Amino acid sequence: MRSRIALLLVVAFLLSLCTTFAWQRRSRGFPGGGFGDNWVPEPADANEKTEFVYARLMYPSAGRRAFGGFGGRGGSSWTTDYPKNDRQFLQGLRRLTRVHARSKEHVVDLDGDDLFNYPFIYAVEVGQWHLSDAQAAKLREFLLRGGFLMVDDFHGTFEWEVFMASMSRVFPDRPVVEIENKDPIFHVIYDLDERFQVPGLAALYDGVTYERDGIVPRWRGIYDDQGRIMVAICHNMDLGDAWEWADDPAYPERYASLAYRIGVNYVVYSMTH
Amino acid sequence: MFEFLFKYSPAVFAKGEFVFLARWPVWVLPVAIALACALLAFVLWRRRGRMPAGLAGWRPVAIWALQCCLAALLLTMLWHPALSVATLKPQQNVVAVVVDDSRSMSLSENGKTRLETARSTLNGGLLSALEEKFQVRLYRFGRTLERVEKADQVTGAAPVTRISDALKQVASEAASLPVGAVVLVSDGADNSGGIDRETIAEIRRYRIPVHTVGIGRLAPEKDIEITDAVVPPRTLADSRLSAQVTLRQFGFQNRKVQLKISDGAKLLASQEVTLRGSGEPQTESVAFDAGIAGARTLAIAVDKLDGEENQNNNSLMRLVNVESSKPRVLYFEGEPGWELKFVRRAAEEDRSLDFISMARTTQNKIYRQGVSDAKELEQGFPGKAEELFAYEGLVLVNVEASYFTPAQQELIRLFVDRRGGGLLFLGGRASLADGGYAASVLADLVPVALSDRKNTFHRDPARAVLTAAGRDSLICRLVEPSARNAERWEKLPLIGDYQETGEPKPAALVLAESEVAGRARHPLLVIQKYGLGRTALFATGSSWKWRMLQDHKDTTHHTFWRQLLRYLVSDAARPVSLTTPRQVLFDEGRFRLSAEVRDKSYSPISDARLEAHVMGPEGIAATVELTPSPAEVGLYEGEYDAEKPGSYLVELAATRGNELVGRDVLTFRREDGVAENFRTEQNRELLRKLSEETGGQYYTPETASRLAGDVAYSEAGITTREIRDLWNMPAVFLLLILVRGCEWLLRRKWGAV
Repeated sequence: MRSRIALLLVVAFLLSLCTTFAWQRRSRGFPGGGFGDNWVPEPADANEKTEFVYARLMYPSAGRRAFGGFGGRGGSSWTTDYPKNDRQFLQGLRRLTRVHARSKEHVVDLDGDDLFNYPFIYAVEVGQWHLSDAQAAKLREFLLRGGFLMVDDFHGTFEWEVFMASMSRVFPDRPVVEIENKDPIFHVIYDLDERFQVPGLAALYDGVTYERDGIVPRWRGIYDDQGRIMVAICHNMDLGDAWEWADDPAYPERYASLAYRIGVNYVVYSMTH
Repeated sequence: MFEFLFKYSPAVFAKGEFVFLARWPVWVLPVAIALACALLAFVLWRRRGRMPAGLAGWRPVAIWALQCCLAALLLTMLWHPALSVATLKPQQNVVAVVVDDSRSMSLSENGKTRLETARSTLNGGLLSALEEKFQVRLYRFGRTLERVEKADQVTGAAPVTRISDALKQVASEAASLPVGAVVLVSDGADNSGGIDRETIAEIRRYRIPVHTVGIGRLAPEKDIEITDAVVPPRTLADSRLSAQVTLRQFGFQNRKVQLKISDGAKLLASQEVTLRGSGEPQTESVAFDAGIAGARTLAIAVDKLDGEENQNNNSLMRLVNVESSKPRVLYFEGEPGWELKFVRRAAEEDRSLDFISMARTTQNKIYRQGVSDAKELEQGFPGKAEELFAYEGLVLVNVEASYFTPAQQELIRLFVDRRGGGLLFLGGRASLADGGYAASVLADLVPVALSDRKNTFHRDPARAVLTAAGRDSLICRLVEPSARNAERWEKLPLIGDYQETGEPKPAALVLAESEVAGRARHPLLVIQKYGLGRTALFATGSSWKWRMLQDHKDTTHHTFWRQLLRYLVSDAARPVSLTTPRQVLFDEGRFRLSAEVRDKSYSPISDARLEAHVMGPEGIAATVELTPSPAEVGLYEGEYDAEKPGSYLVELAATRGNELVGRDVLTFRREDGVAENFRTEQNRELLRKLSEETGGQYYTPETASRLAGDVAYSEAGITTREIRDLWNMPAVFLLLILVRGCEWLLRRKWGAV
């Protein structure tokens, strides 16, 4: 009798676990990663139908060949700073521009076709990503159709190489170049000729603005044949952390402000070029 | 039979004036008839008690009516009715016999040419009958009228038929000669576009009846002919054009033929066509690419079929001037949207379009792209006519009507109405009804009726469904042929949003509708003409899904948008617009030019100097000055005589003082010896109409023998009035017998006799 009750309890527990997991998958709710507490409540207008939806790219991390687990502090690099980073940036975008943006992010992956509904996608910690050939091809197709990819929060030589290992399979024939100051992406709303390294919160606690050997911030890009940026690469900086901690008095305003201005420019550029 | 019954020919009745010759006043006649009827009624009423049994009920009334008819007829005869008719005095009048000498008269039908038919009609008694009563002058005509002595001198060699010109010359002779009538012997295959009102008026002024003798079959037995082809005279480089080709056939029903459009040796388009019923005009739309800038001479041809009687009418030429201009389109959006990105990409691929955009990115910033310099649009949306009118197209996207000042709204209206620009409204949460357009001046420009209701914009997927008009429209032509295009539209990804729109306005054309499963359809793509320009509505803001949800090599979105933007600007008015009524001249060189000249605010100006430089074949070069027309302010007219056949180019420059107002270019072509190949069957309608309008009659060669007698009844020339009695017509006596006989038969039938 006891063994039956125990069995029923185990089954009930497993069912509730599966239900919870399934609900999380359906609503694209994923535990965040990164430094600090990333949880924020879902905005009241999270399901508003809007023109712009901030899409966060879910990708497999290097060495895992999958999207990683969801235990611990996020378990996978693509969820770094998620979802606070996204939602705080969207608050800024809605306040600073006329972009009709949804208050809640949307997660897309490179295995289905959902990402084609969201021409702007943001990927974080791409110094740890590892795309399969099929995923690289999907991302290439997305970009050639007119999609825009912003990557952020990866640092130093090693992570650059990891990033490029996948990106060079997305575009074997297109160079990564430094974006010049005169490029419209730095002027579409804000004139951003003066830029500096935007650090993550953890780096600031260490008293520096860089991580690993990524001392010099790089604003790079991959252009299409008509001179339009398809991939905007923010290397050796952590704009996502700046958005995430913009409401923290400990995080300097000047970094948060620049991070917002860059993000706003990138979004509006993606919608106009 | 007619003359047996009525004593005279129909011409006498047609020409004559009805009169009563009796001395008694005419008003006495109806009184007398009324009295007679009353008397008959009284007699019948008095006898009502002694009526035979068969004459009961309404029957006496029928008898009374017949008796009244008889009395009326007899009384009328007593008043001595007659016809007063003007007749030509014998041997004092001239009858002009005008014979068609054009090449179409050489066509052979039933083993005999039309000319031989005409000659045999004339020489077989018609001429001699006329000569008995009149002085006969024989003419032949093609392009001009020429007097001849004998019918044999008509050879059928003239390359063109100008009936109007020939009649005008005859009418001019009437000023010095007593021309009593004209006899026109022709197949009516006129090449000058018919007989103008001016000519008819001239002939009627002299009261000359034109009697026509129609020669030739009314339809060929076996022939296929291109009767017309309408091609836009000018277009932008790389445009997709549509030629509306009208053809007809006799004896080849249901045959499949190829309709081809070529530019020299280069085939531009070929389309299979199934021929419809015999003689039925059939219009086919053939799409082709205009190619790079330059003057094009297009040959539009249909297959030559075995057994065709005339293979020279299977092709014709048309001219298209492919312009190198780059119209400017201003795209204004009230808040950033994805559509701009993708429409910009489509427009930038079009080397014939200049795409300028303004996006309200923040509360106080407008992001401009594609401007020619930093000053352009620096102050925001244009507030002056010369600023806005510098663009040919305008796209308003997701911007509320109240954003524009009343003056700007009126300027936008004038942009379409007076400037002749193209305006496109896109859907969005601040567009159309949701943007307050229903209560603004701009509502008049929207091609659908807007409701006052809000929340008409829905960010829900919808299917774009082509309408019948959309299937024919070049805006919606994604692939060729038309059937494949319809399939292509069915496979398009869903658009991401749609806007509920009202009913299309009366002159608007719905090309596509948005369809959401389980809900009503709404007009999605609507176009209309407005004033000098045109407006369009595309009630969505997310056609970009056609780009993002299809392979990156797919050109659907780009093609559609390039065609939509070109539609907006392709007919936009220009400061100087040169036109001509006919781009192809057949066997004549008189070329009329008209130009409309406007200033920067597109107000017509009449103090400009217009000089047209004409370049033609064999090094022809000439300058023509166009002068202001008294008919309309801003309109200038001029004329040039193109002496040699071939293609001509006209370059017009309009100046005002030292300032250049604008330039325009036009092409035209003179073709000799071609017109007579088309519409070769007898144009009976034209000949009949000519006779009716001038008081003459239409005859066939078989009935032409009556003509000599009928010609005498004319008010032209030297005439006398003749009285023709009517009382003694056999028909009158027959009628009397008939009425009386009817009464007797009725009485007998009713047993009253």
